Amino acid sequence: MQLKIKIKSKSKSKTFTNISMTLAAATCALSTPVLAQPSELDSWDVNAGLLIYAEGDNQVQAYEGALSLTKQIDDERSINVKGVIDVLTGASPNGAVAQNKAQTFTRPSGNGSYTTVTGDTPLDDTFRDTRVALSTQYQQQLSRLWLYSGGAYLSKEYDYLALSINSALARDFNNRNTTASLGFAYAYDTIEPEGGIPNPGVSVDNPNNRLTDSDTKQTLDLLFGLTQVIDRQTLMQLNYSISDVSGYQTDPFKIFSVVDSNGWANDYVYENRPDQRTKQSLFWRTKYNIQPSGQVLDVSYRYFWDDWGITSHTIDSKWRVQLSNQHFIEPHLRYYSQQAADFYRVYLDDSQPIPEYMTADYRLGELQTYTIGLKYGLPIAGNEFSVRLEYYLTQVSGDDSLAKGAGMAGLDLYPDKSAIMLQSFYRF
Amino acid sequence: MIKDDTSKKNYTLKRQTGYWLGEFTVMASPCQILLDNVDGALADSLTALAYAEAKRIELKFSRFRDDNIIARLNSGTNEIIRVDEETIRLINLADLCFQLSDGLFDISSGVLGKLWHFKQQTQLPNDADIKALLPNIGWQKASWNAPLLRLPKGMQIDLGGIGKEYAVDKVAQLLQQQTDNAFLVNFGGDIYANKLRSNEDSWQIAIEDPNHLGKSKLMISLAQGGLASSGDSQRYIEVDGQRYGHILNPKTGYPIAGGPAQVTVYAQNCVQAGMLATIALLQGEFAEDFLIAQDCRYWLS
Repeated sequence: MQLKIKIKSKSKSKTFTNISMTLAAATCALSTPVLAQPSELDSWDVNAGLLIYAEGDNQVQAYEGALSLTKQIDDERSINVKGVIDVLTGASPNGAVAQNKAQTFTRPSGNGSYTTVTGDTPLDDTFRDTRVALSTQYQQQLSRLWLYSGGAYLSKEYDYLALSINSALARDFNNRNTTASLGFAYAYDTIEPEGGIPNPGVSVDNPNNRLTDSDTKQTLDLLFGLTQVIDRQTLMQLNYSISDVSGYQTDPFKIFSVVDSNGWANDYVYENRPDQRTKQSLFWRTKYNIQPSGQVLDVSYRYFWDDWGITSHTIDSKWRVQLSNQHFIEPHLRYYSQQAADFYRVYLDDSQPIPEYMTADYRLGELQTYTIGLKYGLPIAGNEFSVRLEYYLTQVSGDDSLAKGAGMAGLDLYPDKSAIMLQSFYRF
Repeated sequence: MIKDDTSKKNYTLKRQTGYWLGEFTVMASPCQILLDNVDGALADSLTALAYAEAKRIELKFSRFRDDNIIARLNSGTNEIIRVDEETIRLINLADLCFQLSDGLFDISSGVLGKLWHFKQQTQLPNDADIKALLPNIGWQKASWNAPLLRLPKGMQIDLGGIGKEYAVDKVAQLLQQQTDNAFLVNFGGDIYANKLRSNEDSWQIAIEDPNHLGKSKLMISLAQGGLASSGDSQRYIEVDGQRYGHILNPKTGYPIAGGPAQVTVYAQNCVQAGMLATIALLQGEFAEDFLIAQDCRYWLS
């Protein structure tokens, strides 16, 4: 059928890129019916969310409310303001190992004590705080191809103040099929724990175990990102980030059991982490839009490593399935695997000198986390409402032979942790 | 007295073998609606619908009127003007074509038509006059952030290069909502067909040979999709044996030399076909190289 008539033989030729695909996508958009007028510029776009998070065995529970307001100032500029309040209650592991006896601990504040029964992982029951966070983000299209964004963040809880600023620049290339971005963020945190900053390695019972009232931490993040439109269905994203943290990174509430040759914890000392940490991560994500059903497959992988010896892999996948009447379901599966920090120990042997750096915080140990979740969305009064239910299971692993002697024989030093999260969003 | 009702209509209807043919003139082009296997009443209402939509688009986007969005944009006041959703889409497409063609497809280049009108033109325009217009041309100088557009003083835009193909796709979309039968929309050679006819035949389309007007050199059978042609052999001037065609380079202000007289492209829809044909012609002697890279069906003459 194809008939080509050469007008003349050519000695020269030129190489062109294929633009049909881009044109096809653009012309399809052209003829879709105009449904509604775009929203007025002076109205605010409001997103409200509620979250309930509950760990198993009555550990941490969190309730969070978030309100996000976005306003398109004009066509080039937009601003977002967000406020979050969360309330945390419950208990969290204090770092000490389980024992075949009851253990009594002085509260971190120095006022009063709590007792853990035989065989249980000691939990600090004073975990209770209210956090208020405020942030603002500003975006401006600088020109046809350049986009700037900048923001500031503040959060305050009883003993912690976090302040940060961020700035990013993105540029489109290649007929807007490629976006490159460069971002930076700087954070300054101040911690002022009740009772003061503990002296690491010193017994919790030592009356002179406090150093100063407060300490600070500074974080500098750099992010390089590349987003590429592969075809009409596929979007790929590649990010590299490096983060330099200096200052106080120890958890002042975490302690360590000092264990004798029979496995009995006779003393507890405060943990200590290095003042310097460099974190890096590589992130790859692909979003695939399955046509014409409108399903979206979103798969990502992150590799993380730092100079504390932690490496981790995260595989995350979401699959959005469009149902009738603008309802959708979105199953979510996530797998996270982490290697322990070099200075992670379950406890210290009293025959050994106390190391400079040590932590028994399971979050810096070897662990695997599995997440399974489902999100359901539906329009309510013309606006999107969605609710998400997720279940997390964290399996902490380590050397089981460390449960030694009469003090620890038969005890699980690495108990699994589980949590359930229920989240709802409404956008209007 | 019986009044002839059809005399008030802006279109005519003819019964052909196997289909109805509705005809009208919009955008200075002969327009046809071919309706397969329908009765006269439906043919009449569909043609009326097609005419109304084509006329709406003409009135809204014609640059020869003083009461539409194009007139407001071209009024030369250098103001920021907010445009409606339909105009946003057309300008977005024009903006995309500008980028995809490295600035050769430019809706701000219409002012060159004052000098290159090709109507009994026997002389080249004055080079100084052409140079004087160039500062007013160049879509990159416009500030476009949908829905807000600001044209620099002196710049005028013309969506005529997209409008006819757009009207074809829009009319086809409206007809599609009204009938399950096969139809073909043809506005001055820009065509869309929705599906095979009821007798399983494709529509047979004759493409006029630009070198021998009135004679058709090419027959194309079209079942579904868009077909558009770019190029017009009637609009050229010949000075000192050199032929100057009507496709102008917005960067130089002069016609693009060495290209085919006409490019016809088949694509999913008429706008896509039209944009590919126009951008191909703007490549001059490299038109065919461009079309080969697009992996589309095309015909050159």
